[in-house]
Amino acid sequence: MGEIFVLVEHRQGKIRDITYEMLGAGEKLASQQGTSSTAVLLGHHVKTFAEELALRISKVLVVEDAQLEHFNSILYQKVLASLIAKHQPLLTLIGHTAFGMDLAPSLSAEMGLPLVTDCIGLSFEASRLKALRSIYGGKVNADVSLRESQGYMATLRPGVFRPAVPGEKKGGIIIEPSPLHGATDIKMFVEYIEAPLTGEDITQAEIIVSVGQGIGGPEHIPMIEEVARNLGGVLACSRPVVDRNWLPKERQVGVSGKTVKPKVYLAIGISGAFQHVTAMQGSETIIAINKDPRAPIFGVADYGIVDDFQNVIPILREKTKGTK
Amino acid sequence: MKTDPKTFVQDYHLNGCIQCGMCTGGCPVKFRSPLNMRRLVRETSSTANPSSLFKRPELWACTTCSTCSLRCPAGVKSVELIMGIRNFLANQGEVPSTIRDALENTLLQGNPWGRFRDRRADWAKDLGVKVLGEEASDTLLYVGCAPSYDPRVQNVSTALVKIFQKAELDFGILGKKESCCGNEIKRMGEQALFKKLSKDNTNLFKKSGIKRIITLSPHCFNAFKNEYPDLAIPVQHYTQVLADLIETGKIKMSKASDVPVTYQDPCFLGKQNLVFDEPRKILTSIPGLKFVEMERTRQRSLCCEGGGGRMWAEGSTEGTRNGEIRIKEALALGAKVMATSCPFCLLTLEDAAKISGMTDRIAVKDISELVAEALEA
Amino acid sequence: MNIVVCVKRIPKTAEADIFIEKDGRDIKKDHLVFYLNDWDGYAVREAALLKERYGGEVTVITVGPEESKEVLTRCLAMGADRALRVEEPPDLDGHLTAEILSAVIKNQSFDLILTGVQAEDDNAGQVGVELAQMLGLPHAAIVTHIEMTGDKARVRRELEGGIDEVVELKLPAVLTIQTGINEPKYVSLAAILDAEDKEIKDLGTGEIGLSPGKTPDTKTDRVFFPPVTKTAEILKGSPEDVVKQLTEIIKKKKGS
Repeated sequence: MGEIFVLVEHRQGKIRDITYEMLGAGEKLASQQGTSSTAVLLGHHVKTFAEELALRISKVLVVEDAQLEHFNSILYQKVLASLIAKHQPLLTLIGHTAFGMDLAPSLSAEMGLPLVTDCIGLSFEASRLKALRSIYGGKVNADVSLRESQGYMATLRPGVFRPAVPGEKKGGIIIEPSPLHGATDIKMFVEYIEAPLTGEDITQAEIIVSVGQGIGGPEHIPMIEEVARNLGGVLACSRPVVDRNWLPKERQVGVSGKTVKPKVYLAIGISGAFQHVTAMQGSETIIAINKDPRAPIFGVADYGIVDDFQNVIPILREKTKGTK
Repeated sequence: MKTDPKTFVQDYHLNGCIQCGMCTGGCPVKFRSPLNMRRLVRETSSTANPSSLFKRPELWACTTCSTCSLRCPAGVKSVELIMGIRNFLANQGEVPSTIRDALENTLLQGNPWGRFRDRRADWAKDLGVKVLGEEASDTLLYVGCAPSYDPRVQNVSTALVKIFQKAELDFGILGKKESCCGNEIKRMGEQALFKKLSKDNTNLFKKSGIKRIITLSPHCFNAFKNEYPDLAIPVQHYTQVLADLIETGKIKMSKASDVPVTYQDPCFLGKQNLVFDEPRKILTSIPGLKFVEMERTRQRSLCCEGGGGRMWAEGSTEGTRNGEIRIKEALALGAKVMATSCPFCLLTLEDAAKISGMTDRIAVKDISELVAEALEA
Repeated sequence: MNIVVCVKRIPKTAEADIFIEKDGRDIKKDHLVFYLNDWDGYAVREAALLKERYGGEVTVITVGPEESKEVLTRCLAMGADRALRVEEPPDLDGHLTAEILSAVIKNQSFDLILTGVQAEDDNAGQVGVELAQMLGLPHAAIVTHIEMTGDKARVRRELEGGIDEVVELKLPAVLTIQTGINEPKYVSLAAILDAEDKEIKDLGTGEIGLSPGKTPDTKTDRVFFPPVTKTAEILKGSPEDVVKQLTEIIKKKKGS
């Protein structure tokens, strides 16, 4: 039986956390199926990565190439296509991330392998891959099965699977020759752009009061910002609030915004979609105010108020006046 | 429905304008915004290409209180001009983003707040209210969007239901079949959507077999009474109904608390539809209630800035809101309660009391809430 | 610059009450309001803006039931010139959708194909990038900014943590569009009513030259409400009581 491939995701000199989560998931699946898992590492000067990974997995396949210094879906796909053709893995795991979403679907179409994306659970039923997915904004889960195939592909949702921990034994590192013949001119990496730091740095705050599109309109924001200040904290928000220009991007807590770990995170009118939750679930105490008792946020929060925020926040504002 | 700004001069009698300035003189947002109706009429009638005048944020500051049109001695249709301009802009998609959201929400969910249609009547679920379609009634209580979904205004809906039930007035609501009346939709410029709402609502009312409509909001009252072309069903605002119930002895109120109460005439009930006396009759019938009149009263009532789409857009207004001015006026009279009979007045005035930090000195209440309190006492 | 935009009609579930069908294979949808997938709306608007700048024509395509025509009408009101609907087969997933779109699009002339990053219902994020591969085109996913430079497109891709990646692609290419890339314009009912007069082409899967035997790669066996693992402690009482408890919790957790 083929092994389980785990594509290592790294950027700007760091292995990203999703990699360790996939290693953990891959190892578990491999032992269930009586096979092994292998980290697949593409890059340039990535020897130290390989060493680090070898502590968490029994085999690391490395393809070193100057062209692989920065992620480029065309080049990554070329390399992976040749590795998959050669090794015929049972399953290839890729992160459901900005890199993974740019790569996995096209790779699956090229190889003719069935793909399931954004999985929060994976299992085999005999030789058939099954996945658990979260749909309809997190309100519903779905059991999905893939068509029978010699090989499968899946992208995993970050922040869900338990990461592999470093062990005693050191796995083997195998260098594979690069199948690339120079650069590609149809898609080229140009540069990374960091978000400029303007205004308040919400990542440093101890108390964050965060608003979602559930507040219905920007006219409520001044009152909520006042509450935030009264509590000695800062105002933040979820992505839809930024998309609608109710608040600037620097206030956004989310996968594509900032990750925060305050002492208190008060989420108002935020449903709890995972792209937001991922970026604040490290908060010490999470309190959610939402009129929908089924909002996914209540599965993450420590305390909850099931009510329209307009019933609660005005009273909170009165009560916190002059407490700063 | 193509709006051509070149027809505005004719459509709105702009050539009759004598530039007297009565319009701007009475405009409730003139101190808060660059909006100048007199100048707008002049510019629109004297330029060859009026549409160049319209990309101004202050055009969205107008509350459509209609003071300008009502006072114009020359028959210029000023507020209608604003609505025509907004229609022209809306058809091109040129509306502020919050107005866009309110309009899209109304098309999709039947209310500008974007709330789930199926939950429109949740506020009434434990009140034993008839839902037309399941049960029959001759009288429709048309609730409205804010009174259905806004938690503060739901108190008003509940109070009114309790009063009607105590008075044994038979009525039903439409429940989740109720859709926005469209009054504000039209004023935000969406004439096509207003036309659709008025057609669909008229058919729904006719199909339900009702013989009279009572509205909670003066805005809905105005739309049904004056702007629905084919609605041959009599419409009343709830204050007209309550005044009658009190006069005929169907409502009995015991002693209320001995506080001075003043009253904000809503633009869509008062100056536009001339319903001034009934709310006062109700208030002065509440035992112990001391009624005090503000100086700017009846036709001169100062618009709360809730109408004309202002619940969804500021139109670049700046400075002290009219609501805060009204609260100050009420306090100066020694009033402890500001009574209203419109959901938008209720919300804007209560907000103003909070912003001014005056909530311990004055409460803002709907007339129905005052009557309901007096019933229980 | 000719642009093709692939769009999807989906139910609005954010504010709605969700119920599961008796057979457990999908949610009940009769009481839900349907509309244009949010990401696709940004893609159509972006296409309209590119058309304003560079000229050309915009074609929108959807794979869906008869009712999907209403989202195509909306796209026509937003500036699209042509609309096509392919009748959806009884079993459909992202992979098969990409196959169908590929069969339709490969015979068209275009410089750019846009799709939304993902759909709000299944959030798979698969169709655009698979479509690119099937058409033999370069692609970039999660695009927040597009700049045309001759025969190339320089785009920004949104990565995690507030970082963007800039890549350059040779046209024709496929871009999946992220929300917030532009300011959505209001689409008036008058514009929609006008657009209803425009023709929408209907095609069956048999008419698009789709190779026989194309089937979905995945199947949904069952949907269910997520199990309640952790629950928040819900504060009870009147709003005043609740706020009192809330301020005490915050004070305690704030520490000093």
